[in-house]
Amino acid sequence: VTHRDYRMPCYSTKGRFLQEFYTEDDFGKKVFKYGAQLVALAHREQVGLHVDLDDVAEEDPELVESICENAKRYTGLFADAIHELLPEYRERDVVAKDSLDVYIEHRLMMEQRGRDPAETRDPRNQYPPELMRRFEIYFKSPTTSKPKVVRDVRADSIGQLVAVRGIVTRATEVKPMMVVATYTCDQCGAETYQPIQSPSFMPLIMCPSQECVTNKSGGRLYLQTRGSKFMKFQELRIQEHSDQVPIGNIPRSMTVYARGENTRLAQPGDHVAITGVFLPLLRTGFRQAVQGLLSETYLEAHCITLMNKTEDDELGAEELSEEELRSITDEGFYEKLAGSIAPEIFGHEDVKKALLLLLVGGVQQAPKGMKIRGNINICLMGDPGVAKSQLLSYIDRLAPRSQYTTGRGSSGVGLTAAVMRDPLTGEMTLEGGALVLADLGVCCIDEFDKMAEADRTAIHEVMEQQTISIAKAGIMTSLNARCSILAAANPAYGRYNPRKSIEQNIQLPAALLSRFDLLWLIQDKPDADADLRLAQHITYVHQHCRQPPTHFTPIDMKLMRRYISLCKKRQPVVPESLADYITAAYVEMRKEARVSKDTTFTSARTLLSILRLSTALARLRMVETVEKEDVNEAMRLMEMSKDSLQADKSNTTRTQRPADVIFSLLRELATEGVAGRGGAGGVVRMAEAEQRCISRGFTPAQFQEALEEYEELNVWQINQARTRITFV
Amino acid sequence: YFYLLTLAYNPLHCLSSFYISASSQNNPESGWEAKAVLFFKEQLKDKEAHTSVPSLNDVPLHYLKPNSLVRFRCLIQDMFDPEFYMGAYETVDPSTKARVLRCGKYKDVTECGVDLNSRNTVTAERQTFYCVPIPGENPWVKEISFSQARVVPSTSYVPSRQKRSYEEDDDMDTQPQKQREPHTGMSCFHTEPHGNGDCKRQETEAPSSQTTSASHLDLNFPLPGEKGPSCLVKVYEDWDSFKLNDTLEVYGILSVSPALSALAEEKDASSSLLDPAECMETAEEQRVHSPPASLVPRLHMIYAKPLPHCNPLLPSAALEDNKKQSNEFLSSTLSEMASVRTELLAYLTHVLLGDALAAEYLILHLISSVYARRDVLPLGKFTLNVSGCPTVASYTERLYQIIQQLVPCSYRLSMSLQNMNQLRLVPKKDYVANRLVSGALQLARNTSLFLDETQLEQGQLDTTGVRNITALGNLISWQKVDYDFNYHQMEFPCNINVLIASEGRSLLPSDCQVHLQPQVAPPQMEEYLSAIHMHPQASSQLNKFRLYLSLARTLDYSISDEVTKAVEDDFVDMRKDDPQSISAEDFHRLLVVARLLSLSLGQTSLSRDSWMRAKHIETLRRSRTEQQQQCVNGNEP
Repeated sequence: VTHRDYRMPCYSTKGRFLQEFYTEDDFGKKVFKYGAQLVALAHREQVGLHVDLDDVAEEDPELVESICENAKRYTGLFADAIHELLPEYRERDVVAKDSLDVYIEHRLMMEQRGRDPAETRDPRNQYPPELMRRFEIYFKSPTTSKPKVVRDVRADSIGQLVAVRGIVTRATEVKPMMVVATYTCDQCGAETYQPIQSPSFMPLIMCPSQECVTNKSGGRLYLQTRGSKFMKFQELRIQEHSDQVPIGNIPRSMTVYARGENTRLAQPGDHVAITGVFLPLLRTGFRQAVQGLLSETYLEAHCITLMNKTEDDELGAEELSEEELRSITDEGFYEKLAGSIAPEIFGHEDVKKALLLLLVGGVQQAPKGMKIRGNINICLMGDPGVAKSQLLSYIDRLAPRSQYTTGRGSSGVGLTAAVMRDPLTGEMTLEGGALVLADLGVCCIDEFDKMAEADRTAIHEVMEQQTISIAKAGIMTSLNARCSILAAANPAYGRYNPRKSIEQNIQLPAALLSRFDLLWLIQDKPDADADLRLAQHITYVHQHCRQPPTHFTPIDMKLMRRYISLCKKRQPVVPESLADYITAAYVEMRKEARVSKDTTFTSARTLLSILRLSTALARLRMVETVEKEDVNEAMRLMEMSKDSLQADKSNTTRTQRPADVIFSLLRELATEGVAGRGGAGGVVRMAEAEQRCISRGFTPAQFQEALEEYEELNVWQINQARTRITFV
Repeated sequence: YFYLLTLAYNPLHCLSSFYISASSQNNPESGWEAKAVLFFKEQLKDKEAHTSVPSLNDVPLHYLKPNSLVRFRCLIQDMFDPEFYMGAYETVDPSTKARVLRCGKYKDVTECGVDLNSRNTVTAERQTFYCVPIPGENPWVKEISFSQARVVPSTSYVPSRQKRSYEEDDDMDTQPQKQREPHTGMSCFHTEPHGNGDCKRQETEAPSSQTTSASHLDLNFPLPGEKGPSCLVKVYEDWDSFKLNDTLEVYGILSVSPALSALAEEKDASSSLLDPAECMETAEEQRVHSPPASLVPRLHMIYAKPLPHCNPLLPSAALEDNKKQSNEFLSSTLSEMASVRTELLAYLTHVLLGDALAAEYLILHLISSVYARRDVLPLGKFTLNVSGCPTVASYTERLYQIIQQLVPCSYRLSMSLQNMNQLRLVPKKDYVANRLVSGALQLARNTSLFLDETQLEQGQLDTTGVRNITALGNLISWQKVDYDFNYHQMEFPCNINVLIASEGRSLLPSDCQVHLQPQVAPPQMEEYLSAIHMHPQASSQLNKFRLYLSLARTLDYSISDEVTKAVEDDFVDMRKDDPQSISAEDFHRLLVVARLLSLSLGQTSLSRDSWMRAKHIETLRRSRTEQQQQCVNGNEP
């Protein structure tokens, strides 16, 4: 809470602002934000002073405007004001920090002692303020002004304070740059100072002091390195972020001059936000004439802040407005979100749902140092030409951080990490492969089955431990590869053979396959109705170049990305009460797997998968606890994925309608009850029955339908309160 | 007509008169530019006029008068950072002290006596594009556009001109020029064909000598072995509308002032002596951004016409401006299309060793083009894999030569191991020189890329090789190239027709594979092949083919609701009969085939017949592929 207890009447009182600006802390005490810094400046404990224009705005909004428009001038004005103030803030003697301090002290002493106060010095020989100042003034742009894109910094922003964002592509080494050149005369010994503004300067030759001029002694000036003031100087080149570039354009770049405290803040490859003054480069003399019509420009940095790309994205996520949130989280948002993944690909709702969960990811557990990954791995298998690659490509685009490789095209080095010899220094360096680069993101691997044996072993570790261990060329290390893997594989015999096991079909070892949470087999099964819709879809796309109008409009990719990143912030937990339910379901699955000679397998990994999927679902709903529906949906997805692997079962035997399956399930339950309770006679409790069916991947509607159908057939009876089913 | 010629000769004079008239009305920002550009457009509208402007593509640089109006058919290879220049400045006459406000647009060098501290100086911004001639442009395109420019009188490049241009440089008065103009025009009119050939020879020689001298300077052409001038095009307006890899015809003012090179050299020399911080750009950057003007001339764009194709036979003006004229043109050619197609089919059948089906597919491939994109999916691409190419008598090379004769732009990439490991296919940003180093996949739209897989041998692909293969795969599947920006990659959509010639099935993906069934017995192959080249088609015939292929690509296409319904039902029926027979991807392809088939017949909407025919040839092709596979499997137990 700040108090507006005084207004700054004119520009010359900037010092007052600095002196008197304060904020009140929690205890109502006044904190003089700049006052404290001035003290530090006066004692040479601080060099840079950042003036936050937000603070200035509280005092005088108009002043902020004029500072932004003419920042270079105001830097000087503020510096003058501070220079006058500093002696007031000096509380104790200052220990000289470097030779220039000693020099300055000495000069001041000389001035006080040796000179008659009435005598006016030759302005040339006066100490230039730049020489005596040991502090730097920087402005921090107001938060209200948005950072600009490099390409929007145009001729009209010359001289203004602008904030830009970009990636550093080049940084020179830090060099000293002369700010004030000091000369001594070989005749009279007087010192002459020359402040330097431009990158080049013409050295002075003749001594301008009173003595030499009157005597016409022709004193020569010699440059004194120790007495001159130098400043750290670094030149940076920044380039726009790739997402700021319009399609079909080359990213623009901009030169940035960093001085003093702003040097050594950024390295090539860093994402930075820079506030600075956009200035034309002044040339002098011949160069200026030759240069003709052109002028080069640069950004004089005032404030350089590093940020990483993911932070940048999250920044966007916070801006998700209420309205947008509502538009996403309305009725059936789960289906809608899933449908918005690759809308041009028809059908495959469950696969898309699984991919959505992969993007959101489950919660990572780390009890007592043991790490259980939260990332969901999915493998898509299927006959050639079922748009697997398209799904992968879409996910690659949608995920904020992703890598796309093909198993065939990338060697083990390309996937994990390579030890390279640096051509310049000859040192061994480690270069990350696709899996390392996709850390905290998605790694899409197409043609997973075509990968060489050696490369697959590297993936084993990534998929469970989420790290990559390297022991090559004397480098032993472990790199993080916390990525979800989305793989696509083709069946070994051209088409998927349902009579063979998955391992045989894809020719991947079971150890690797079990690391996938979900395995989907995408097959195109003939179905006249679906075929017609598919045909309509494709012809529509070909004719109008967009997908046909459906009952919902797909959510925009950007909005989706932001929503997903928002979801990722949630850390839902599985409540105690659900533990029993999940255990029971798991035991059930194990039992079934033993009985049914399945081509798939159920292991402890399956249980973890269910947990991951259900936490991902809870995240998607933006809640803090996992609910029963989440677990049910997770199990349904598992069931569907298993079903997809045994797809052709329906072809060989009679097609089983859901109602038939539900009936057989219930009968099984009833006989169990009989065995358990010693012949209570074919009674099943409704809640139990529904639970069982839903866990097997049926919807409540299907369940109800089946109930009614078989009741009409007089197979069973349902009591009035609809709580019990009695077999006849 | 004289007027026009003066215009072409001294456009700056004309522009400044616009500027002066605007500033005399006391509103220098009154949009005088728009007026001037409009004026130029008007003047260049009719065909005659625009061919009378000399083209940088045809005329060697040293025959062109500095500061004259020229045109340049080019591709935007790189975009530099914007430049700030003095949009208006004031000059002071040293003797009379008279101040004159001048316009700094469309020129590089100022007059003497610029008052740098004048209050009237206006800083403005312009954008520089690095433009190269359209990569892979075939010789016949150059020849035809060259001869087209020749038919009308033009003043600039009769050999005797060279001497005169020097005279004119010396003489500052523009008046005598005007008087001499008609004379030159006339003399050119009467130039004998013999003379034509003469100066043509001279011109073809000239650039080669130029390139040898320029060998130390990398002109950054996308394809190796390219020649021709590259240009720094300065754009004053609306530069956001241009995209990388756009093909344009730029009309602009040529600036080759030696002062520009002097500037660069002076900087070069001084930067080594003085504080390096003085020059904002490094030496490498200097070399790239301000190369000597004699090698890379500057072109100040007055306006640019986007080129949807670069076939000089197809009048571009007829297709855009004049509706009536274009309709006439279309209807006259459309009726002919079917007959031309038959001829072309016969010709290609002959070339493809008597395989009519492969010839049919080759035609479809040659007229294919990405017409729309849906998210990641490009629609209309039709990559053809011709497998079973005979390896004798460098058949693929011959095939490419035929294609080269037919399409305006093409490039043959021999996929030998060495090439794959060494060639730079993907453009890469060079941060030291701050430019985009071009790669062979930076091609203009509708360029035919001929991948010769028969050249591939066994061996080890290194990292570059793997990357190159991936890039080719991406290009074929998604019609995009990921340019390497070191810190990240950027996706650039493209529209390149990829034709893969291979012995077996290609290792690269393709939309459609046709296995060649030669009707010629292997022993006679050699003889047969050499005979193909024995009769080069009459050029009028070839021109008909060229026109046909380019035109078919530009046609609009639609499917009526009725046919849509029939097609959908057809699909459902096919699935009912045999679900394995057709997948969604096959259906996609079938629709593309039907589209291309209709267009190749000059039909702008899908008819039932075309649909059936498309289905028919697809069935033929598939049965052939399956047969082939069985054959292979049978041979290798």
